[in-house]
Amino acid sequence: MRILLVEDEKKVADIIVRGLKAERFAVDAVHDGREGWETANAYNYDLIILDLMLPGLSGTQILENLRRKNPLVPVLILTARDGMTDKIKNFELGADDYLTKPFAFAELLLRVKALLRRGPVNRSSVVRVADLEIDRLSQQVRRAGKKIELTAKEYALLEYLATNPGRVFSRTMIIEHVWDQSFEGLTNIVDVYVRHLREKVDDAFPVKLLHTVRGVGYSLNHEAQA
Amino acid sequence: MNFRSISFRLVAWHAGLLAVIFLVLCALLYIDLRRFLENDLRESQLRRARQIANTLLVHVPQTGEAYVARQTADWYDPDINDRFIRITRADGTLVYLSAAPKDGCFEPAEVPIFPPSPKLESARVLKLSGGSTLLIAALNFKSSGNPDYQVEFGALLDPVESMLNHLFLQLTLGLPLAVVIIAIGGHLLVRRALTPVEQITRAAERITQHNLSERLPVAATGDELERLSVSFNRMIARLDEAFQNSKRFVADASHELRTPLTILRGELESLTDDKRLAPEVRERAGSLLEEVLHLGKIVEQLLTLSHLDAGESQTEWSRFDLSELARTTADQMSLLAEDKKISITCDAGAPLAVEGDRVRLKQVVVNLLDNAIKYTPSRGAIRLRVHGVNGHAMIEVEDNGIGIPPDAVPHIFDRFYRVDQTRTAASDSTGLGLSIVKSICTAHGAEVETQSVVGKGSRFCIKIPLPKN
Repeated sequence: MRILLVEDEKKVADIIVRGLKAERFAVDAVHDGREGWETANAYNYDLIILDLMLPGLSGTQILENLRRKNPLVPVLILTARDGMTDKIKNFELGADDYLTKPFAFAELLLRVKALLRRGPVNRSSVVRVADLEIDRLSQQVRRAGKKIELTAKEYALLEYLATNPGRVFSRTMIIEHVWDQSFEGLTNIVDVYVRHLREKVDDAFPVKLLHTVRGVGYSLNHEAQA
Repeated sequence: MNFRSISFRLVAWHAGLLAVIFLVLCALLYIDLRRFLENDLRESQLRRARQIANTLLVHVPQTGEAYVARQTADWYDPDINDRFIRITRADGTLVYLSAAPKDGCFEPAEVPIFPPSPKLESARVLKLSGGSTLLIAALNFKSSGNPDYQVEFGALLDPVESMLNHLFLQLTLGLPLAVVIIAIGGHLLVRRALTPVEQITRAAERITQHNLSERLPVAATGDELERLSVSFNRMIARLDEAFQNSKRFVADASHELRTPLTILRGELESLTDDKRLAPEVRERAGSLLEEVLHLGKIVEQLLTLSHLDAGESQTEWSRFDLSELARTTADQMSLLAEDKKISITCDAGAPLAVEGDRVRLKQVVVNLLDNAIKYTPSRGAIRLRVHGVNGHAMIEVEDNGIGIPPDAVPHIFDRFYRVDQTRTAASDSTGLGLSIVKSICTAHGAEVETQSVVGKGSRFCIKIPLPKN
């Protein structure tokens, strides 16, 4: 999988390149709008990550040019602006996803993977993490064969964490997916729900599956994180 | 009709003034004409009386009175010319009395004999039983060597009267008509003159913060109206610039603040994740990351406030059920409250349609509930109530928590305002939650009321105007 990153902030680009390379993606990074358009035009990429404020040629213009030649390649927009009109305009021009800075790298990775697969990250109806079983059709959860009763929100939280076992989800990501953007900034609600979820899913078992990663968020993982 | 409008007042003054001037002029004209015509008639009668005295009466000793009577009838033909002629002696006996006019408009015999006036020449007006009016000029003839006579010469005043009456009628009818025409003409003229004002008003109504690039039409007339519209346009230009600056600031600040935050966050995340590092280093990186996230939260909320201040466009405006929103939000927040053993009761029954940005109004409810949960001790109670009261939707959030001191109440919506140290206990609070509530409410034309008693609890009430239809 080959990804093009067009981002003029070199440090931001470094973090993304490092992270994506660690996930075994091939990444080319360019730091200028014109160069970005030429590179995108010259090679076949599986995904393009595009910053909007670029020297030379803006991200929006690159997107416009690109869509005229290649309507298929998925484009993920990175931006430091969150104006609704900006967002709508870029989606109309053919952006596939939108991420506002500052973002958790985990979220960028999740979105990149989702775009590359063109669909939800995990489509199978039953997800298994160690001895935990989540049936997405009947919305039932079992651990070691024993049924666990969860409220709707607890279930939604668990299912979201299970979309990518082992991956750390930030509180903001969880809020946006499980609640909605009105709860932005109200991250303690996530902690409360995770605690309730732990009582039901982990407390009775020796192996803990829900893990807290200081400053980052939570993950569902059968290997204890050091 | 608006009696205080410029148009009405101008027309009323102008028509009223002209009416008064016309009235005075007409009255003068009428009175003067009447005097002139009466004088003229009297003079001509006197002239004829003098003629009789000077040409006939002086010769009475030679000709005798019968000759005078014959000659007078002969010269003046009083029966054809509707004249009254009477010559009397000093004792009041008749020398001559004209015959009745042929059309019988008056009867000369009816005219009473008056005692001679002490003055040489006099005149009187006499109303006769037939309805006609006579003007009679009298001349006392005194001459040495001659007997004294009185010569009376009269003519009908009726033609003068009827002419004056006709004039009077024409003036009384014409005057109001003239005033009405002037008023209508004045109204049209004023309206024409005020049309540019109307146009400017309408154009100004259309200009809101979303189309500040538009300008008012400028009537190139070189008068006050042109100056008015030009200065209005300058004012709009200044407003436009201020709005643009504010928007540009938000956009620039977003970029300038978010980019370093992204870098900090990314680097700290990878440090926290790096299993090669010593646990205490990763622990410290995690602690830094928490602060970066908190900083990020403050930046986001400040930008939200700037967006709201700059009059964020209303692309997200829709109509929705506020009761349903309150119920779901209370439900979503209930676990957070339960965690502190606080009960939330939601009193929102009947559907209540409001118009606004659903996400933003939900944020209002979330922030108010979050605030209530933060400042209500364990085992407290929070009540959320949504109801409609004459044209307004009310969102009430009431708690029995620690309350707010009276001197702090006016400031709780100020940015970064903290009541006291206890209030900062909630470490993840940014001090901007209530400011955001206030800004969202302002954007929706809603009012926020706060009542609070220290130790008893607080009550926040949001009053949103309901859509008109």
